[in-house]
Amino acid sequence: MSHVDDGTLHAYLDGELAPAEAQGVDAHLAQCPACRARVQEERALITRAGELLALAAPPERELPPFRAGDVRPLKRLWWQVRLPLAWAATVVLALGIGSYLGSGSRAVTDRSVAEPLADRSRELVAPDTPARLMPYRTAAEPRVAKRAAAPPATPAPTAREEVDRVAPERKAIVAAAAPAPTPQAGIAMFEDGLLLQGSPISVDSARALLGAAPFSVQGAPIRAIYQTREIGYAAVVIVEQALDSNTLINVVNRRPSALALEVVVTGAATADSRADSVGALERASRARAQVASSLAAKPSAPPIRDETRNRPLRRVGTLEVHISGPLPSDSLQKLLQHVQPVKP
Amino acid sequence: MSWSGSCESFTDDTLTSMPEDIAEVYRTTYRALVRFLYRKVWDAERAEDLAQEAFARALIHKPESARGWLFIVAANMARDDARRAARERRHLTLLTAEPQESTSATDEALEVESDRARVQAALDELSPRDREVLLLWDSGLSYEEIAAQTGLARGAIGTTLSRARRRLVQAYEAGKAGEHVARG
Repeated sequence: MSHVDDGTLHAYLDGELAPAEAQGVDAHLAQCPACRARVQEERALITRAGELLALAAPPERELPPFRAGDVRPLKRLWWQVRLPLAWAATVVLALGIGSYLGSGSRAVTDRSVAEPLADRSRELVAPDTPARLMPYRTAAEPRVAKRAAAPPATPAPTAREEVDRVAPERKAIVAAAAPAPTPQAGIAMFEDGLLLQGSPISVDSARALLGAAPFSVQGAPIRAIYQTREIGYAAVVIVEQALDSNTLINVVNRRPSALALEVVVTGAATADSRADSVGALERASRARAQVASSLAAKPSAPPIRDETRNRPLRRVGTLEVHISGPLPSDSLQKLLQHVQPVKP
Repeated sequence: MSWSGSCESFTDDTLTSMPEDIAEVYRTTYRALVRFLYRKVWDAERAEDLAQEAFARALIHKPESARGWLFIVAANMARDDARRAARERRHLTLLTAEPQESTSATDEALEVESDRARVQAALDELSPRDREVLLLWDSGLSYEEIAAQTGLARGAIGTTLSRARRRLVQAYEAGKAGEHVARG
C-alpha cells in the first residue's frame, strides 16, 4: 500500500474513516515508520489548531433558556431602522425647505408659532445650543433639531386644527416631525406620547442592552420583551406583562445614553442655573423622545401608550423605569414600587 | 404558546413547548453555534443574538436535520450581518454617539484579547472554503454534515481540513513572529 495522504490521515485521526479504510491505514502504519512519524505530527497539528480556535471563543456562558419572545415574526431591528430614520429626516428637511421657499406668507404666520418654541428652547438650554441637545446618534436628530426652530413644514389641515389646541412647544414638534401623508401618527403622539414597539428580544439580550437586568412587575406573567430606540437613551427595553386576561402593562426600562447625560450636564451648567432647569431639561428630553417616535412612526407598527406627561418614573441604579398601561396613574405608581429585576 | 406564572415558569414553559427534537438540538448545539457565529462576527453578544434568531427560525421552518440547517442559516445571517455592518460603518462613521467606555483592562485581559486578534487574523488568511470547513468541524459537525453543507465531496473534507489546520497554525505563528520583528 502506498503512503497515506494528508487528507486520509486527518480523517483517520478525526475518526471519520469508514472501518475498512481505517483498517487499511492501520495496516500501512504498522509497516511504515515514516507514516507513523507523520501521524504524530498531524495529531499535534490537529491539537494545535484546536487550541488556537479555542483562543478565539466567546466567553463561556450558561446556556440561556430559549425564549418565545424570539419566536415571534422577526421585525425590523433597531440598527436596521437607523438608516431609514436618516432618510426620513432628509425628506422632512427637504419638505421644510420646499414649503419655506414656496410659501413665504405661510412661513411668516407659522413663524409666530415657531417663535415661542425657539424662545422656550433658549430657556431650556444655553443660547445657541439647541442642536447640541440632540445626541448625534443618527443624521436624523441634528436636522430635526434645526427644523424645530425653523418655520415648520405645512401639516395637513386636520393636523393643524389639532395642533392649535396644544401647547406651542408641541406644535412645532408635530410640524417638524409629521410628514404630510401620515399626520395621524403625529397627532396621536400628543395625547400621551407614544413608544413604538421594536423587535422582540430575549432577557439576556435585554440585560446586555441595559447593562442590568430589566425590571418587571413581580408576579405578572411576561408576555414579551421588546427593544426599541429612543433618542437620548442608549437602550430602551419594554417588558410587556399581563395583569389579567385583558390588561396589558408595559414596563419601560431606559438606560440614558452617556452622551445625552453629558449634554444635559453642560446645558444645566450654562443655563444660568435656573431653579427649574432640571424640569426644563426633562421636558426637553421628552420632546426629543417625541420627535424620535413620530419619526419612526409607521402605520403598521402598533403603538404602545406611554403617559409621558406625568409619567411616574423610578430611577433604579442606571435605569429609568416607568410603567404604562390602561390603569389610573396612582395604580401605576403603586405597581412601580413593586418592580424587580427579571431573573435569568 | 402558553404563558403563565412568573418569569421563571415563563422560560420553562417555553422550553418544554418547543418540539422535543429542537429543544434537544438547542441544548446540544447552542454553544457551538454561538462559537461558530462569534468567529464570523467577532462580537459575543451579536453571536448570541444571531444564534437565538437561528433557533427561532428553526422553530418556524422545522427543518428535517435541524443541526446542519442551523449552521447554514447562521452562516448566511453572519454574512448578511457583516455586509450590513460594513454599510453602516460607511454611513455612520461620523455619527456614532456612544463614547467608548474606557475600560482599564488588566494585562491578562489584554493578552487574551491579543491572542484572539491573532487567531482572527490567521483565520482571515484561510480561503473561505477552508475556513468554513474548519469552523464547522470545530463546531462539532461530522464530515458527512460538513459535506452536505458545503457541497464538497465527503472524501475531500479530510484534505480540506488538513490544509486549513496547517495554514491556520502557520499564519498564527507567522503573525506572532511578525509582531516580534515589528517591535524590534
